[in-house]
Order: sequence, then structure tokens, then C-alpha cells
Amino acid sequence: MKCRFVTGRLQSNPLRPIVLAVGVVLAVNAALAAEPAVSDEVRALTVPGNTLELGLGGVSDSSFKFGEYNGLEDEGAFLVGSLAVHGGGRYNTDDATRWKLAASNLGLSTRNVAAEYGKQGVFRVTFGYDEIRRNRSDSYSTPYAGAGGDILTLPSSWLVPVVPRVSATAANARGLSAAETTSSALVTGVLTAPTPAQLTTANGILAADLPLFAHHDLTTTRTRYEAGVSYIAPRQWEIAVNTNRSDKTGAKPMGSVSRVTGADISTILADPIDQTTDQFTVTLAKRTRANFLQLSYYGSKFTNHIDSLTWTNWANPATSMTMTSAPSNQAHTLSLNAGHDFSRSTRLVLTGAYGRNTQNAVFLTDASTPLVPTTSLNGLVVTQTYNLKLTSRPTNKLALGLTYKFDERDNRTAVHTFSYYDANEPAATTAINSAFSAALGVSPTLLGSNANVNSSRPYSRRMNQVTADATLRLTSGHSLKGAYEWQSLDRWCDGSWITCADAANTRENTLSLEWRANLLATLDTRLSVSHSERDVGSYNEDAFLALVPMANVSPSTATGGLSAYAYMLANGLNGYGPTTGLVATTGNQNLFFPLNNALANAAYANQNRISELTGLRRYNMADRSRDKAKIVVEWQPTEVLALHANADYRKDDFTESRYGLIDSRSWTTNLEGSLAATDDLALTLFYTYENQRARSAGNTYTANSATQNVNGFTAIAGGCFPTISLRNASNKIDPCLDWSTRMLDRTHTYGFSSDRKNLLDGKLAVGLELLLSRAASDNEVIGGNYVNNPLAVTGAPAGTIAAYYLAAAPLPTVKTQRWDAMLNARYALSSASTLRFDYRYAWLRASDYAYEGMQFGGLTGVLPTSETAPHYSLHVASLAYQYRF
Amino acid sequence: MKPPGKPAVWSIAAFLLLATSSTVLAQESAAVDRTLTGDAACTRCHDESETKPILAMYKTRHGVKADERTPGCQSCHGASEGHIRNTGGTGAKRTLPDVTFGVRGKSDAKLQAGTCLGCHEGSNRALWLGSQHESRDIACAGCHTVHAAADPVLTKLSQPDVCFGCHKTQRAQTHLVSTHPLAAAKMACADCHNPHGSTSDHLMAKASVNDTCFTCHAEKRGPFLWEHAPVADDCTNCHTPHGSTVAPLLKARVPWLCQECHSGDHANAVNSAANLQDGAVTTAGGLNPLANSAARAQLAARACLNCHVLIHGSNHPAGAKFQR
Repeated sequence: MKCRFVTGRLQSNPLRPIVLAVGVVLAVNAALAAEPAVSDEVRALTVPGNTLELGLGGVSDSSFKFGEYNGLEDEGAFLVGSLAVHGGGRYNTDDATRWKLAASNLGLSTRNVAAEYGKQGVFRVTFGYDEIRRNRSDSYSTPYAGAGGDILTLPSSWLVPVVPRVSATAANARGLSAAETTSSALVTGVLTAPTPAQLTTANGILAADLPLFAHHDLTTTRTRYEAGVSYIAPRQWEIAVNTNRSDKTGAKPMGSVSRVTGADISTILADPIDQTTDQFTVTLAKRTRANFLQLSYYGSKFTNHIDSLTWTNWANPATSMTMTSAPSNQAHTLSLNAGHDFSRSTRLVLTGAYGRNTQNAVFLTDASTPLVPTTSLNGLVVTQTYNLKLTSRPTNKLALGLTYKFDERDNRTAVHTFSYYDANEPAATTAINSAFSAALGVSPTLLGSNANVNSSRPYSRRMNQVTADATLRLTSGHSLKGAYEWQSLDRWCDGSWITCADAANTRENTLSLEWRANLLATLDTRLSVSHSERDVGSYNEDAFLALVPMANVSPSTATGGLSAYAYMLANGLNGYGPTTGLVATTGNQNLFFPLNNALANAAYANQNRISELTGLRRYNMADRSRDKAKIVVEWQPTEVLALHANADYRKDDFTESRYGLIDSRSWTTNLEGSLAATDDLALTLFYTYENQRARSAGNTYTANSATQNVNGFTAIAGGCFPTISLRNASNKIDPCLDWSTRMLDRTHTYGFSSDRKNLLDGKLAVGLELLLSRAASDNEVIGGNYVNNPLAVTGAPAGTIAAYYLAAAPLPTVKTQRWDAMLNARYALSSASTLRFDYRYAWLRASDYAYEGMQFGGLTGVLPTSETAPHYSLHVASLAYQYRF
Repeated sequence: MKPPGKPAVWSIAAFLLLATSSTVLAQESAAVDRTLTGDAACTRCHDESETKPILAMYKTRHGVKADERTPGCQSCHGASEGHIRNTGGTGAKRTLPDVTFGVRGKSDAKLQAGTCLGCHEGSNRALWLGSQHESRDIACAGCHTVHAAADPVLTKLSQPDVCFGCHKTQRAQTHLVSTHPLAAAKMACADCHNPHGSTSDHLMAKASVNDTCFTCHAEKRGPFLWEHAPVADDCTNCHTPHGSTVAPLLKARVPWLCQECHSGDHANAVNSAANLQDGAVTTAGGLNPLANSAARAQLAARACLNCHVLIHGSNHPAGAKFQR
């Protein structure tokens, strides 16, 4: 049983829903008055009842998180209101016409209205309206003007935050915290207090900027209108048409990146949402005794009324940044389902669907996109899904199944090559490699050396799958089921110059076995196990090259016309390069893999090293061994007592993965007991425990280098090498740079519910529900990294440590704890009216270190938003009068 | 670099051939008396004094007698002559109707299902036979309450409670800090799942996980100029739909979720408590005081998504790194 508040918050016109509801009640009462008299008791049992509920409630404290989806986010009073009326012919008449109107949450941001009219067996018309407000953040603050719109600007009084005693010019969001700007800091190895002049500057920034931060509630509201009509035509044909429109508006917090000299900074922006999704379904179906046929069309059109979001760079207010919004798109699918019963025990079902998904929004361009070969994507994805399912029961004891599935997402969008600068960065004054310009057919001076040259990768995927299963009924109540599944997955990009898929093909074989037994008349058990092996024929560590076509162009600085890719092929290398320490390199080797480092960014015209570590396997297409086991026991020792216990275990081993996700384990157990103590009292108690753990690994390799000291100091404390020179020369093979994490999630959920009926001479029913959810996430990190000693500055004493190896430390436990206590009571005032009382106490506490960085004084490169982890402690109570008529 | 071969062609041909040949009209089953007169064989005992209010059936679609398709009691429960004649004795010994509906101590689940499917076969129940629920002998009445005025499994408010009767782990997950709006009755299990059988894993309502998600999240459908491979592959590569300790419904915390696939450039960094504000990384030797000890951005706020925000795909010419 749930205690739900069917409510409506008092809004600008709180009486409107009441007037509406009362009007409906009067109209229905008038209609009923015209009906022939029948026994009230029989009528109550056989004729759909009408109800009107009105009342008042209150919330003790505001909380966006508590009201995330339920509309109860604000402290104060709210209206309780719902309505359900029915009409049309009764069961014992010749009239199959029926209609109904239902409304709930009247006047609230989660209101819902549904109406239906039809002649059963002939036609039905439906209408619906639904609204949901999602609360995103009630602690967000920003200095930007225009929140909610698509242009966010900083007021002219905005001063770029800096921490003067660290740097008078470098933008630093910690300059928005007095605690930071007034404290001492190490400056060239000396603990230094800010000077009066620095304090004056810092205080000026604080005085100018802090008042600009304003709080904004970020919410989105989705309203949905729907209508449908169905008609049963002669000869058992059924036609149904349904359509709905969903409008979503509001704003949500969203990250963004801006470029300042030498670094990227981030701003959590209020991302405006104004979107419409229209969906349309037409279904034509026919069913006979042995066959059915269904043809349907599904169309979905997504329209984004906001093309882009523009914001001022808080570290350089003279510049603005622009980001695209999700592009409008469409999808249309035709599907056909058919079935044929060859006999009473053998059936063949065929389903097929063909879909086209298109997108052609105009590209946004600016100075950071010097090479845009087409004005829009003209994107097309064709999806095809076909299934054949044959089931048969040759004997009463044997059931057989055979299924074939074909599922393809064929992205037929053309590949294009673009050039751009990261995060609206200006072009460098030096030009990109001339051979690249020539290959792209652009002027030698068009692209700066900091340009990225990337080709799109339209991902396609095809699955073929065959499943065969057999279920053998051993004895009554005992059965054994075995299944085998073979799956092949192909991945590719049409038009890509080199395969884009890390695993062009994976094959997976799964064997499963399930034993079900009713060991006793009152005891049911089920035990199932499965094992699967996913095999990647050849994991392709060069797939990243599909993004960087210049890897297939010989730079003008290369000799012998070799491109990066050709050099890799000739030397048996992947993008990570030779696994070796520093060795002086010359010629092409020095161009492509200088000092035996990873493939140089300049060699393929990309500003980031996108090659992966040798041995990294992306988990969704890595070799995998998976085991699952499940046991379920259900015992009903008496008519009134039922006990349930089950346990699930899953183990994934990514057998060929040295880096990335290595393995994961999860197990879950559920315990539940239900007792119908009397005809009027039911009790339920449950507990669920989930334990999920995963282990992944990486390596903080940066680059072999010949640098031998830090400001003249050479010693390293800790780590795998004693000196700076040895460490730098061995960066690529330093075992101390390997790291791994062990992530562990544990959740406990406890629940209790009680329903008591027929109190006070049958007038009172009471329900109680208690819920406790506790979640804790730990992350143990093994490994570490080197960090230069800030005291190792020129003039420091001889023997000063140059760098330390700092061991990784486990992350703080992230915790969430939630209590819910719900009570409801219904007291019958008469046969037609009931008083309903609902009460709920809700409590939540969460701790999450991620929020620390959102506070003033937190991060250097992220503007603070003051967002906090969710928490609440509140009471909700309501009293409503329910009238049945 | 598209692999050759299109098994789909053969599938389509076979599909159309069989589908178009399946046009034989059925004959009505042997008629039972579906009228109130026929029902009277039952309702003369199971009347308004019944503790289980079966008469509420007449409030439902199954009770609209003016619809010629409407069943009578014996359409579903069988003629049940032994029960009517009381051949087995009184009380608990009384002979049961030919077909009894429910979970325990009732008629065989397949017999129950066959009774219901006699009218309700096809449409979204076409794949019932051999489906997960069918093969585990889940009877229709295990979820549906047909005699009630309103079947709880057919309303969004109460449907999850019905499903959670068996799917208890999912019930617990919906109480985590990041969830879909099931508790607010703004969506129900059947918005994503077809419990009667499906061609996709996990009984998805649409042909695939992604197609199902796109019915509400169409903005993530694209196709985008710059696609993120795991997104186009399967939403559940990163998301867990029933509830998560990490918003928004993520399978693991960022940055580690990202680092399970990315190890190049700045994605290779070890992230630990040493990189948090005032962490050991910035207090080397214990001498580096406050104000030089900011956390690494990948460990705060939205972590990797502070910058790589359009992670589901970008349509900006400068969006290959999902920043624009």
C-alpha cells in the first residue's frame, strides 16, 4: 500500500479546479437522477462509481529534492483535489456506450486529466493531459544575467577574479572567496601573506563580483497532450490512431568550457530548455483463431526551439562562447507483426520494423570553425529489426523455442572532415603543416597550428542472434530449462578512411540452465545459472585514427612520404608507441614518436592525445566472461503467511583488459515476509541488500623527457626512481604510474507496511508504511603520482627534495540516507462520504565530496554555483473529504 | 567499411510470405451463455454478500454485456458443473471451478493464460509464448485483477507495486537518490517494458533499449555529427534505469565511469582523495598551505562533464570533443 497525496498546490486561481469539479458533479448527479432506481448495494457493486475529493494539506519545509517529481517542493498549503466520473450504459442494458473523466492533482504542477468515450466493441476516443515539473536545483547561483534564456551575459561591473598574491593576472575562481585571497600562500617557496595592495585588489573584486551572484531555481516542466481513437471494423480488423505532444520548458544546470590563455575553465550555466516532441502511431490489426497480423506506423518528431546557448567568458568578458543545443530530428518506423498457429501447440511469430531517423539542423559556425564542408549534416540512420520466433510444445512435458533476431542500426550519414579550434580558442599565428592544408584543399594560411582536423564517425551496428531453449517438465512442479544463445555483433562506420570500431566483430555464446521445483506444496524454489563468453576476434587499437584523417597524410616534415599511420604499420606500433623509456630519436621516429612517446598530436592534427594505453579495452566490446546465478525460495507455510528469499550474483571478467574496466561483481539479496494476520490486518516486512563492486585500471603516463632537475634539485622521495632524470627518462615504463580503483556500492533498503481495515465498526481503515534506504559508495584507489616540491625553488637549501611520490588515497565515502514514514487513514462518514487523512514524514541526508568544488573558494577553474548535496526533513499532512455519487 | 551480407533480406521475404498467408478467419468458439442469464449460474451464490466482490466485474470492460465479445463467467471459468452441483462437498472440499485464476493452488498457469489469450492474443501479447514470464509459469492473474473495478496493474500509480511483488531489487533501486518518476506516478514499468513478451532483451517495449529511451528522451536520438560510440550502442552502457547512487542514473561515478574507456591525455590521471581540496597532492611535505590546494576539476562538480557536456553527441562543427 502506498500513501500518496493526490493533491493540488494553491496557485493563482485555487478555486478554478473546485468550480470545475463541482460543475461536473452536478451534471453527473442530474444524469443519474434520470436513471431507473436500483438497489444501492447492487448498484455500488456493479456500476462504476463517481468520486470527488477535495481537501487541504500542508508541507512544513521547502525542498526541491523531496518535490523533485511530486509537486510538493514548496512549504505551505496545498489543495487536495481529484475527480473520477463515469457514465454511459450499464452492464445490463443494450447500450455499450461508456465514458469517463478522471482528474488528479488538480491545480498542481503534476496535474493529470484523462477522458474517454466509446462504444465498446466498436470505437473508443481518448484524451489526456499530463504535467510534470522536475526540480533540478534550488541552490544554484550565478552572476550571469539572462538565466532561462539562450544568451547569458555578465554585468559590465564584473571583474575577472584573481588571487593577487598568486598571480595578478591569471583568472582564478578562488578569488571569489575572501578566505582564499586573504590567506598566506607559498610564493617561490616562501609562505607569503598578501600585501596591502594585493588585498585592495582582491577586496575590489569581491565587492564587485559577489553581489552579482543571484539565486535561481532551476526546473523543467513537461506538459503532454494526447489523443487517440480506435475502431473495430468488420471482419475483425482493428484500427487505432494515437498521437501526443510533449512540451518541455525550463532550465537545468549544465557545464561548459571556455578557453583562457593556456587553460580551460568551466562554467555551470543555466541551460534553457524549450522543446517539443510529437509522436504519432497508427496501428492496423487483424486477429483470427489461428493468425494475427498487425501493421503499424510510429512517427516521432523532436523540435528544439533553442538552437544554441551563448555566454560570456568570465575570465575574459570581452569574448563570448557558443554551444549548440540538441538538434531537431525525426524518426519514422513501419512495423509488421504476424503470427500463425500451425497447431494448438506450435506457433510462429514474425516481427519486423524498418525505421528512418533523420537530422538536418543547420550547423553553427564562428571563427573557431574555419573548415566546415557542409551547412548541415543531412544525417540518416536506417534501423531494421526482424525477429522470427518459433515455439512448440510437442508433448505436455516438453516446450521448445527457437528465436532468430536481426537488429541493425545503419548510420548512412556521409563522413565529413571539419577543422576547428578548441573552446573558441583563437587561431595560432603559425600555420598548420602545409601538407595537411594541401590535403584538405585549403589555403596554407587558413588553419593555425592549433587546429583540430577531425572526421565524423557515423557508427553502425548489426546484431544477429539465435536462441534455442527447451523446457522439460520432469514431474508436476519440477521443470528444467536449458537455453543456448549465440550472438554476433558487427560495428562499422560507412565512409571512414579506417575502421572506426574497436571491435569490428564480437561473438558471444551463452549457456543457461534453470531448475524450478515445488519441493513441497507450500515451497517453490528456482535455481538458475548461466555462463557466457564474449570473444573479440581482434581488438583494434588503431580505431581512434578514424577521427583524425591527417594520420593518413604525410606531413611535409616527414621523409619518404610516410604518414603517421604508414609509419605505425611499418614499425608494428599502435598510437601508444614503443613501450620503452627515453631513447633519443631522429628522423621520422622523432616526428611521429619523439623520445618514444605516444604518437605526437601534431602528427595527426589534433590537440589532444587520443590514443589509448596499450591493453585498454572498452568494456562494452571487450572480451568478457560472465557468470550469473540466482536462487529464489518462496514458502507459504500457511494461508496467511508468505515468505520470500532470493539472491542474485553476477560476475564479469574482462579477460583481455589490462586497462579500463577489469572486472565487476554484484550480488543482491531480498528477504520479505507477508502476513495476513486477520481478514482485516495485513503486514509486510522486507529487506534488500545490494553490493556492487568494480575494478578498473589506468596509467598516468605523460611523456619521456630529458629534464633532469627541478630548479636544480634532483632527488625524489618515494616512487620507483630516486632522481628526476631517471624518472623522466622512464616515464613510459614507470610501474609507479599504474593505478587501479576498487569501487564499492552498498545499499540497504528496509520496508514495513501495515494495512488495518474495519476499525470503529468498519468505518476506519488505516495504513502505515515505513521505508529506510541507506547507500554508501567507497572508492579505494591504489597507485599514486609525482608532484614537484613547492619548496624546491632557486636558492633553497642543498638537498631539498625535488619531488615527492604521493600515494593515492581512498575517496571519502559518499552516503545517502533516506527515511519515509507514511500514514493514511480513511474514515467513512456515511455510505457516500469518507474523510481521508494522510501524513508523511520524509528525511534525507547526503554527503558527496563533488559538491565541495561548487562552493566559493573551491576550484580555480570552475565558477562556483553554491549547489549543495540534497537534504531535507519535513512533514506533509492533508485532510480531504471524499464524496461518492 | 560495412561487412557484407544482409540476412534481413531473407527475413523480410519469409516474413511477408507467412504474414500474408495468415488470413484465415477464425470461427467462434463453442458458445457459452455469455448473458446475465448464463452468469446467474454463478451470481446466485457469488452475490453482493461475497467477501471478494466479484460483481465488480460488471464495472469493467468484461462486464459490458452489450458488447458481443464480452465473456460470461463460464467463458473463463469453464462450465464448472461439478462446482455448481457441489459434488465435492462443502467448504474447502467443494469442487473448484474448471478454471481457477491466481498464483498458488489454482489452475495451471498455461491453462489460465490460454483462457485469457483466447480473446487477448495478438497485439502486444503476440510474443507471450516462450517469453520470460510465460516460461516461468506466471499466470495472467499473477499481475491482473480482473474482478476489481480498476485493475491495479493498469494504472501508473499502482502498477509498480504489482511488478515489485516479484522484482524486489528494482523496488529498492527506485528509492535511491537518482530515479525515474515512478513514485510520483508519472511513469510506470510498462512505459519501458512489455511484460507480455518482447523481441528485445529485458522485455523492452520497443525494439531496443535506445528506441525505448528515445520515446521520452528524443533530444538524445540524433543522429549527431559527432556521435559518442557507446551512446549509439546502448544507453545502458552508462546508465542504470531503475535507480542509482550516482545522478543521473549512472552506473558508476564520473570520472571513473569515463576512465573505464578513456586513458589518453588528461583522462589517464589517477584521481583519489589526494586530489581533493586540501588533499595530499597539494600539500607536499605538509608545507603547502590553504589556497594553493584546490581540488582537481575532474573530482568536483560534474567532473568530466564540467567541460565534455554534450556527452550524448554534438552537432557543432567544433564539437568532436563534446564541448560545443
